[in-house]
Amino acid sequence: MACARKWLNRVMADSLGILLAGITLVISCALLAKVMHGPNVYWFGNWYPHGSVIVGISFLADPISIGLAVLAATLTLLSLIFSWRLLGSGSNYFQPLMLIFLAAMSGFCLTIDIFNLFVFFELMSTAAFALCGLKIEEPAPLQGSFNFAVTNTIAAFLVLTGIALLYAVTGALNMAQIGLALGARHDPLVLFAFALLTCGFFVKAAIVPFHLWLPDAHAVAPTPVCVLFSGLMVQLGLLAVARLRFVVFAQTFASHETSLQTIFHFLGILTVLVGGLMCYSEHHLKRMLAFSTICHMGIMLLALALGGALGFAAMLAYLVGHAFVKGSLFLTSGILLHRLRAIGERSLFAKGKVLRWTAALWFLGSLGLAAAPPFILMTGEAGISKAAEQMSRSWISEICMLGGMLTSAATLRIGMHTFFGWGEEPITDEASEIGELPETASEDRRIFWYQFVPALISISIPIVLFVTPLWLSVLRNESAVFTRQSAVLHLVYLGGPVTGQLPAWNETFKASAVRGAVAFFLAILLACTSVFRHRLKRTFRIGAFLESGLRPLRVMQSGHPGDYVLWLTIGLSIMGTISVILLRS
Amino acid sequence: MPDILHLAPYYVAAWLFFCGLYGLVSSRHLVHSVICLAILQSSTYILLLGIGYRIGGAAPIFADIDPGKLTVDPIVQALMLTDVVVEAVVVALLLAMVVKAHEKSGTVSPDELRTLRG
Amino acid sequence: MRERIRVRTFLVFGGLFLFLFCYAVANLPPWGSYRGPYGDVISRVSVYERHATDAVNAVNYDYRAFDTLGEEFILFTAVLGVMMLLRREEGTVTRDAGKVKDNIRLSTTVRVTAMPVILLTVIFGFYIGLHGQLTPGGGFQAGVILASIPFLLYVCENTETFRRITSHTAVEVIEALGASSYVLIGMTSLVMGAPFLSNFLPLGTTGDVFSSGTIALISVCIGFEVTAAFLLVGYTYLEEIITGELPEE
Repeated sequence: MACARKWLNRVMADSLGILLAGITLVISCALLAKVMHGPNVYWFGNWYPHGSVIVGISFLADPISIGLAVLAATLTLLSLIFSWRLLGSGSNYFQPLMLIFLAAMSGFCLTIDIFNLFVFFELMSTAAFALCGLKIEEPAPLQGSFNFAVTNTIAAFLVLTGIALLYAVTGALNMAQIGLALGARHDPLVLFAFALLTCGFFVKAAIVPFHLWLPDAHAVAPTPVCVLFSGLMVQLGLLAVARLRFVVFAQTFASHETSLQTIFHFLGILTVLVGGLMCYSEHHLKRMLAFSTICHMGIMLLALALGGALGFAAMLAYLVGHAFVKGSLFLTSGILLHRLRAIGERSLFAKGKVLRWTAALWFLGSLGLAAAPPFILMTGEAGISKAAEQMSRSWISEICMLGGMLTSAATLRIGMHTFFGWGEEPITDEASEIGELPETASEDRRIFWYQFVPALISISIPIVLFVTPLWLSVLRNESAVFTRQSAVLHLVYLGGPVTGQLPAWNETFKASAVRGAVAFFLAILLACTSVFRHRLKRTFRIGAFLESGLRPLRVMQSGHPGDYVLWLTIGLSIMGTISVILLRS
Repeated sequence: MPDILHLAPYYVAAWLFFCGLYGLVSSRHLVHSVICLAILQSSTYILLLGIGYRIGGAAPIFADIDPGKLTVDPIVQALMLTDVVVEAVVVALLLAMVVKAHEKSGTVSPDELRTLRG
Repeated sequence: MRERIRVRTFLVFGGLFLFLFCYAVANLPPWGSYRGPYGDVISRVSVYERHATDAVNAVNYDYRAFDTLGEEFILFTAVLGVMMLLRREEGTVTRDAGKVKDNIRLSTTVRVTAMPVILLTVIFGFYIGLHGQLTPGGGFQAGVILASIPFLLYVCENTETFRRITSHTAVEVIEALGASSYVLIGMTSLVMGAPFLSNFLPLGTTGDVFSSGTIALISVCIGFEVTAAFLLVGYTYLEEIITGELPEE
């Protein structure tokens, strides 16, 4: 596609991009249908293992990985449809980059070779850097892109160092072989490698304190790119951590489960709180959505940290739901940008009164963020609460509820201001005054079907998936396979069929539904205290108080790359110290 | 003392990593930051290559030696080889961002480029 | 955050990290005693299985060819990114390019010396590229060497020659073709019933230039791609400087 670049005019390039993304989606779905019977290991170049030494690279195609690849293809397809005739992607660079991004994400999900994981991590990051800086007319995108690039490149080097240390110890590059060779080794080297790898992937997954690049990158990237970033790229960081934990380091931590869980829980709670609070205090639409992504990543980390197949299955359900809801919200904000030429809360105030369908999409999105009933986020949350009960840490469900409430309240507040025009002029801040150059040509400001339909599809998929829970049993059983190191070893070395079993968690649905509804209701309350702040007494203006932001958090998010690296180092050294001290046998 | 010598390349790699991070944190010029990333990358190369070395081993080129002889590890060399060329171009990408940023805002100091604050 | 606070905090935590790194690394096997099975297995079998005497390139283009494909695409993406970032949008104000006149002509000595150097570089580059499977070298290295030739021309001639060579559309096409031919080679083996990127060409005799099947072929394709990539980057940067927008004051 790239070689024909100069000769294709705009329409042809867009349609070619959409066609190729569509083809990828079809192929992925076909693969998914095929591996439903059982996971499959694919050896590149016909290099089967020589005895117990694996010499080639392999893909482990189980329904979970392929399912995530299908998710990637779907989101890319929706984004490409949305970006039909998007301004600023002149000379047709945008479409090849998006397709490469899709390829990198799919490869990342499927691979079971650790260096291959690193290569796809780098490819995904490089395509992301380029896509983030697409709008070159303003100075802000270049800065956001630079911060993003610096932080994620350091993360890539951390991962590479971890890989090098593991290679030194085991002499292998296939995750299954490393897991086998590591056994139950506990020395500081293995733990340090674990800390490096985890921190590297946490940077990608935007866990506090490695999250600082995400709002900058999201505030300036074009809308369809934001959909992909928040929808899947960030989550793949957690997927990598999951793979490492269940396949490579499974036996290392067998005797220290609770300590590891505590560490991850702490980070998860921190992420939920920081993400949620900052989310509520943002007035730039895309930055607010970026912080809500951080908050939800915290929830997903909590789910993962609960360990075992149940936590992992819950995390995946939540991930899929979140990807589509967040995608829909980003696409809707793109529609607002196109139609109303503004992206800050104050500049959007009361201008959206005529956009009824867009308002419906937006408020459906906020319902989804609170993990309320018709979305599969609720299914995920139900799984989390069941797993939390089993570990007698049921307060985790309350934290998830808090996170959902904060992010939902933020979107509700902005929705009320924009679409209903309630309340007075919103509070605003420096960041949201940046504004953003519109992404489409200004002659025609109708909302086109190709902008609206992807957002509509995106928000209805979680509802559809919720109503038809057939896929849920496949997810459960495959999670059981994914999280058992012995199953993966069996697959890789013997290629044999393995099955897994995980009981359903239907009994927690009702409690989760109640929690989701309560969260949404509380969110409405919080948003109202913010919107109607002039009519309330001082003590009730919680919303307004939160909205002006907590000063230390704002200082942290300074926009200076040196600060981001500093926080990265702080997180890295603390994580390293804790790993080496706490987890030593 | 012998212990340190045995592990010298790894300590060098660790020190380089630290220097790269220090440079990034204290940088006042975006081009300087990008070069610090290149330093970080060098530290990973030293670590990788140091891991694969074997004292008394020959290069893994079997044009003139027998395949059974003692050689150093070819895998880490292969891993590193492609990385060098690739990272050079990624550095070019980052420098392109810096060039554009300078063009748009007239400055290359991160302290002055603070449009994304808070 | 003020710079001094930032740097001092970093020295504390960075020092902690450095200490941890050294502490962990002390557990590594001593330098020079590589033990792992992977490298030994490859060293033993690569000559027999692939008739390639250079084990490093055998790993790169055959055993772990998929990794190299990924790395090549990182190169491709980065170049795409550079071209995208430094692109000329319609309606921007640029300096008048016209015909670029260099103010300085380099001394005759430099230009006379550069010519034979260019000739040597061409031969050397092609040698390295074609002998990747036999001796250290291969596509990536050859690509970089060959890419330096227009830059040498820039030194000994003037900017105009450089621009004439590198601005040709053919450079872009070659780059894309190089990248896609790697994928096509892989797909060809798919078509032939073996997994992606299997070695399907005849292996020839060890020590010959035309041995080891697809390793040589992939190496050549990568050579084209890397050369074109570096030329594109050089050209884009030069264009940016020559016809760049005036910075806002």
